[in-house]
Amino acid sequence: MLVLTCAIATLSTAAACSPEPGALPGAPGSTGQGIIDRAPVATAEAIAASPTASAIKQRGQLLIGGSLDAPLLSQQNPATGETEGFDATLGKLLAKYIIGSPDAKIVNSSSETREALLQNSTVDVVFQTYTITPQRAQKVAFAGPYLMSGQAIATMKDKTAIKKPSDLNGKKVIAGANTPGIEAIKQQAPNADIVSFATDPECVQALEQNRGEAYVQDLTLLAASARLNDKLQIVGEPFTSDPYGIGLKLGDDAFKRFVNDWLVQLQQAGIWQQVWKDSLGTVVSGEAPAPPAIGSVPGS
Amino acid sequence: MDVLLDNLGTFAEGVATTVELTTLSFLGALAISLVIVTFRVSPVRPLRLFGTAYVEVFQNVPLLLWILFFVFGLPKLGIRFELFTTAVLAVAMYSAAYYAEALRTGINTVAAGQAEAARALGLGFGQSLRWVVLPQALRSVVQPLGNLTVMLLMNTALAAGAGLVELSTAANRVNLVEAEPILIFSGAAVVYALLALLITTATRLLERRLVIHR
Repeated sequence: MLVLTCAIATLSTAAACSPEPGALPGAPGSTGQGIIDRAPVATAEAIAASPTASAIKQRGQLLIGGSLDAPLLSQQNPATGETEGFDATLGKLLAKYIIGSPDAKIVNSSSETREALLQNSTVDVVFQTYTITPQRAQKVAFAGPYLMSGQAIATMKDKTAIKKPSDLNGKKVIAGANTPGIEAIKQQAPNADIVSFATDPECVQALEQNRGEAYVQDLTLLAASARLNDKLQIVGEPFTSDPYGIGLKLGDDAFKRFVNDWLVQLQQAGIWQQVWKDSLGTVVSGEAPAPPAIGSVPGS
Repeated sequence: MDVLLDNLGTFAEGVATTVELTTLSFLGALAISLVIVTFRVSPVRPLRLFGTAYVEVFQNVPLLLWILFFVFGLPKLGIRFELFTTAVLAVAMYSAAYYAEALRTGINTVAAGQAEAARALGLGFGQSLRWVVLPQALRSVVQPLGNLTVMLLMNTALAAGAGLVELSTAANRVNLVEAEPILIFSGAAVVYALLALLITTATRLLERRLVIHR
């Protein structure tokens, strides 16, 4: 029984390791009701030009492949049930653009399933820190890029041996399972020993328990973790460039044009910048960066 | 197919880890279950209670939680093993509860007269269990033990939660780059099926040699 009690105690501590409600992006109010009111709605001609958009409008709901556990990007707020963050808000805005109301449903997908979900039409779009790569672009179409990020290194504050990516050689390095971090480490430090855990909080805990000397993850996620855990430090600048795209069904060029048009409208109206400030901007200091140019990377 | 061939190295490493993990966990589980089943049928009440408690606790909490507890919980209590050791321990201790129950069924198939005869010959509890009851019990549960071992093989995929690059994690990593989920995961599934076939074949051969015709 003792073991069981400990197991339960540990599980509840693990839960306590996830961000507390106060740290959720866009705390009450900033889920973006204001932004949603300001957001554009597509003209009838624009909708008519894309059969996919017309079908979504008729259904009255946009189906999005996404996450419910990515702080600052797409995380479900247990208090309100709303999904909040950069990706989640953009998803709602796209729903409003097509349907007229922010009626979006997030289908919890994972890096392993999202290509399949798009191919078999379970979801209309994927908003999930989906890095655009030429290989992936053979399976799905990408609108965007809508956000530029990069892999960065975090260590515990009392460790000083690692200052740049090549220092990872010969060390145990933690990375999230199924993240581009794994490939990035292999390229920068081929002799690193990569250990991967399923979720970001697990990776942070593994780093704290000394199961690896460094943790490589997307800078935005690292920033969120570092804010919650003051023993963590981010070392140096991001060393890769990960352009995030909106995953669409391969070959649906009309819908891709439609989504790209919408992204440009958001950027020009300053709405993109506001969404960024309400989510990632709460942990990354400085003004919102310039939004990436649509179609600017291979595969988009 | 190129996707699978190009990444043969990663896959081979994953398969090797899965096989190692399965073999060591199987040996561990068998050893622990022999102890637990001995406790469960022993005449000493505290040992019997311990055996029952062990089986109940390990059977009633999912393996993934045990793995997470072993990996993240134990270090908080000051106990830390290597990831591989941690995974073997968790899988072995969890599976042992099921093996022990299968063995107990086997013991129940041994006629009471056998134990009484052993006692009459002057054998103690331990001796009669070791020389008379367990050999017969083991022979009658070869098939269920084989099935449980196939289950153990499938369960090793959960070790991905403990950061091990076994077959399913290897498939995930390849897919991350190649984005060919259907082909890659079908490939991994075929390997799992082949490994399971190996276990069932071995079980069948063993059973044919060991079965007691009553």
